[in-house]
Amino acid sequence: MEDTSNDAPSLAIEVSQDRRQRPMLEIAGLRKRFGTVEVLRDVSLAVSHGEVVVVIGPSGSGKTTLLRCTNLLEEYEHGTILIDGEPIGYRTDRHSGRRVRMSEREIARAREQIGMVFQSFNLFPHMNVLQNIVAAPVRVKRVERRQAEVRARELLAMVGLSDKAAEHPIRLSGGQQQRVAIARALAMDPKIMLFDEVTSALDPELVGEVLAAMQQLASDGMTMVVVTHEMSFARDIADRIVFMDDGVIVEEGKPDQLLFAPQTERVRAFLKRYNDRYRI
Amino acid sequence: MTGTVPFDPHFIARLIPALLDGAAVTVELAALTMAICLVWGLLVALANGVRGPLGWVAGGYIQLVRNTPLLIQLYLVYFGFSMAGFGLSGFASGLLALCAQNGGYVAEIYRGGLQSVSIRQFEAGRALGMRRWTLYTTVILPQVVARVIPPLTNQSIAIIKDTSQVAAIAVMEIMKITEVWVETSANTYDVFLGAALIYLVLTSIAGLIGKLTERRLAFAQ
Amino acid sequence: MKEFGPLIHSFWYLLRGAGMTVLMATSAVMPATILGVLLSLLQVFGGRLLRSAILGYLFLIRGVPLLVLLTFVYYLMPLTGIDLPPFWGVVLVIALYYAAFISEVFRAGILSLPQAQWDAARSLGMTRGLLLQIVILPQALRLAAPPYVSLCVSLVKATSLVSIVGLWELTMASREVVERTLAPFQIFIGAASIYFCICYTLALYGRYLERRALLGH
Repeated sequence: MEDTSNDAPSLAIEVSQDRRQRPMLEIAGLRKRFGTVEVLRDVSLAVSHGEVVVVIGPSGSGKTTLLRCTNLLEEYEHGTILIDGEPIGYRTDRHSGRRVRMSEREIARAREQIGMVFQSFNLFPHMNVLQNIVAAPVRVKRVERRQAEVRARELLAMVGLSDKAAEHPIRLSGGQQQRVAIARALAMDPKIMLFDEVTSALDPELVGEVLAAMQQLASDGMTMVVVTHEMSFARDIADRIVFMDDGVIVEEGKPDQLLFAPQTERVRAFLKRYNDRYRI
Repeated sequence: MTGTVPFDPHFIARLIPALLDGAAVTVELAALTMAICLVWGLLVALANGVRGPLGWVAGGYIQLVRNTPLLIQLYLVYFGFSMAGFGLSGFASGLLALCAQNGGYVAEIYRGGLQSVSIRQFEAGRALGMRRWTLYTTVILPQVVARVIPPLTNQSIAIIKDTSQVAAIAVMEIMKITEVWVETSANTYDVFLGAALIYLVLTSIAGLIGKLTERRLAFAQ
Repeated sequence: MKEFGPLIHSFWYLLRGAGMTVLMATSAVMPATILGVLLSLLQVFGGRLLRSAILGYLFLIRGVPLLVLLTFVYYLMPLTGIDLPPFWGVVLVIALYYAAFISEVFRAGILSLPQAQWDAARSLGMTRGLLLQIVILPQALRLAAPPYVSLCVSLVKATSLVSIVGLWELTMASREVVERTLAPFQIFIGAASIYFCICYTLALYGRYLERRALLGH
């Protein structure tokens, strides 16, 4: 059982023993092309309950596409994705054995279990912060509004923005908007959270507050897949780091091992370039 | 009046030349209007940008022509001037009213085009040490020209359609001829079909000219 | 031209004409807007066949003058035997005409929203209907409001055309008065002023909406 006695509100995610055996996210044989370019070439990845996987790699390596395929914001030609054992996006038909696209409603329902935070905040500008957070729970999951608002305020407190509930996104800084985006995604009680370069568009001094919120989430036991450029953050938060290049997973391993003693040359070259520029 | 004999080839053979005559007037009117408005609209736009009474007059003029119907302007010029003593022909009245109204619209198009050029272009040019004349002619104006082509194309299409209203003051353009032929023959469908077709052809040509001009000037961006 | 007597005497008559103008315009605006929004949604989400059909309709409407359409319907009505009062006939034509332009304005509004808004809404588990209702359309409507108001001004001015096919409204009323009083200058200036009051008010509202839209985004 998780310890829920500390002061700051947390998620306190509890998972029963037998569910822990099954991976939370299972991507198998993913292939995707944009026109003639193969962006993902037979990618497979398994993420366990409560695990934090960080994906790094050069631009164009397919990291973002991988994330977007997971909740079917992008279509893909080949492969299966399971969330906690349930398929999302495509399913093999029991009778014909053929690959069949799930209906819009099934996909929407599956997406409820995946929380995603984007590089460009994507808050709804015509709603204030509180409305942004409760919109989906109230309208999608039919949660009662008052209950949803209570939960929303809890989440806002968790990301440190309790006083901003009535503000509109345009009045918030980038870091604040991103934290609201995290709260909004969490309001749906997802089983897994995806982060797509969420700090890349932020001014450097605002990055820390977002990373802190993500760190808190990780300590609370949330399953996370994080695409990022922030190497030191990757080292701090990741249970496992995955390096992608040119549409394939080149290497994966524990942070200290991959970052400081990489096995493959491509990873070494990438890290060297990174070190030369940022000198970690 | 029963227009129930469509596609009578003899009728159409007589109809087409008449409609084409009307089309000639339409094209003449529209082309003249556009040509005049390109210059007149520019003058109005420049005047509008000036501070002081000239700017107010220009601004007031634009608001006036944009918020009153073309038909009223046509009647005002045609009937008003003739009562005052210097009567203008239908064609001349039509030209005057069309230029008055569209001059206002074109002026606004120019204003929008200039405003849409980012202020950074000005800053970049000045930072490079350009003086105002060079800045405007080599950096700003080419961009403004490229940006005003699409709305000007739309405006030319609107002008072509607006010429139909001069039928109300008895100018023998397409609409008036249509009216006359429908009144005096039984073939309502044919006449309207012919008129609609000609207008479609004219507006499509205007659109194409606009697109080609856009493409030609695109590399100037 | 100091004798504005004729204008003053007939001003009430002209105002009644203006009332008819406003009635016509408001009667046409509502179906035009509903149809326009519908067409824009169908264009954005519809299948290829539907989109081609709508594009064809838009091409026809935008290439043919409203006056031609009005006159056509005016001559056509008695032939088809449909017993429609002329008022509703012209209102219908005007509505169908402006629906095309309104649909373009709304379509531009919808398409100008960044893909990111769709992504965020879908990633929260919203189905297309829901995300349209609470994310896309509210924003698209706000964006489309200023050009929409411009179209409404244009529609009010377009009602003047029905005078050519014999229907009574402000322009027809002013022509009647001119025939009676032979004072075209004063009367038409008077009519123009009335039109100006109506249209300029709308235009100011449109500019207010434009400023508000700029601040919000």
